[in-house]
Amino acid sequence: MPGSGSRSGVSYDARGLVEPHADMPTNIEVDGGRARFDASALTIRQVNMALRKLIYNDGVTDVTVLNPSSKHSLAVGILKRCRIHFEGSPGWFACGLIDGPEVTINGRVGWSVAENMMSGVVTIERSAGSLTGAAIRGGDLIVKGDVGARTGIDQKGGTIIVTGDVGINTGFMMQRGRQIICGNAGMNLGDSMYDGAIYVAGKVRSLGVDCVPGDWTDADTELIERKFRIHGLGDAPEFQKFVCGKQLHNYDALEPSERKLVIH
Amino acid sequence: MAGSASTGESPRETRTVAIDAEVLAGKRFAYQEDMSLVEDIDLLAATPGQDINWLEDITLLEEDGVPAVFDRYSNSFLKIYFDIPEGREDEIARKVLIKHLTEGNSYGITLKDIHCKFPQVELGPWVDESPIVGTDWKQPVLEGWTAPAGH
Repeated sequence: MPGSGSRSGVSYDARGLVEPHADMPTNIEVDGGRARFDASALTIRQVNMALRKLIYNDGVTDVTVLNPSSKHSLAVGILKRCRIHFEGSPGWFACGLIDGPEVTINGRVGWSVAENMMSGVVTIERSAGSLTGAAIRGGDLIVKGDVGARTGIDQKGGTIIVTGDVGINTGFMMQRGRQIICGNAGMNLGDSMYDGAIYVAGKVRSLGVDCVPGDWTDADTELIERKFRIHGLGDAPEFQKFVCGKQLHNYDALEPSERKLVIH
Repeated sequence: MAGSASTGESPRETRTVAIDAEVLAGKRFAYQEDMSLVEDIDLLAATPGQDINWLEDITLLEEDGVPAVFDRYSNSFLKIYFDIPEGREDEIARKVLIKHLTEGNSYGITLKDIHCKFPQVELGPWVDESPIVGTDWKQPVLEGWTAPAGH
């Protein structure tokens, strides 16, 4: 392949692919629009190759991945409406950069699940690590457990729902979107946030710089009730809303092109 | 130039500090001027999940004093020239954007066929069927250039 070469004994090609083993898995079971395969003996690249082939080329709309075995970067960059189920726990950066899929993870996840998600729904049945929903731009991310630090750091849109507790620096530099936290929040909630809203039902250890209590509106009630209903989360608890105090950053002084980069 | 702001006095010194979708496309689209072309768009059908999902963050904005919707796939504003009924601002903005995307007119989509390195759908998740692009990407080669020794 043009541009391929070797550095430190590792093969790579011009696109930056470095994992040498790229044979399409042979253990895929396809039944009409549904497919399933066991990922335990596959490389990360093989799992993602299989997902793309099934979803993009074979017309499959519902894929079950068994035994993800904490492998990192699974189901990244899928840009089509489909359903993906993980039976087990993926590792770091699962479902990053997706645009459209509805994913369920019947397990835990490591750092940065659904980072930079553009649209779709990611539901995690257990807890998630730090940086959950980092830089998410749209869609719904639901964690039915606790999450680590810096949830929704640099969030630019979308809705993150955590049924348990969140760690420190949740919503750090959040720029748009919504976070709904049913448990407690660690120190520095919403530190240096530009915009968006954070709803907390439990206790907040401390607020970050320029994060202040916000006024509750009917739109907040509609949002909470709708998200709880469509994701089957039961009755919503009572939340307190936090927003940006608009003292740290001056939106209106930004040039239009700068504003685009900041908020979109 | 529509959608751009000029600085300096001579053409040589002109620079664009804000770009809109029709500048990128080189033309204005009919659905920017005729609301009837977007009225029947089903936003729920065009988005994943049980509500409008990512479109919740799309609202009617303004660019150069004109109502506009932001196209995040090309980092540009798509201006809307027809009168928008009061109370339907965000809905209409979302419908214009979805029309723009489903017809493949977003500049980011037009670049995919040439530049995608990996196989992916051309039009994105807002349509059921889409051509696949990025299946035969080849590394660009600069004529007369040779790789340095050791590479």
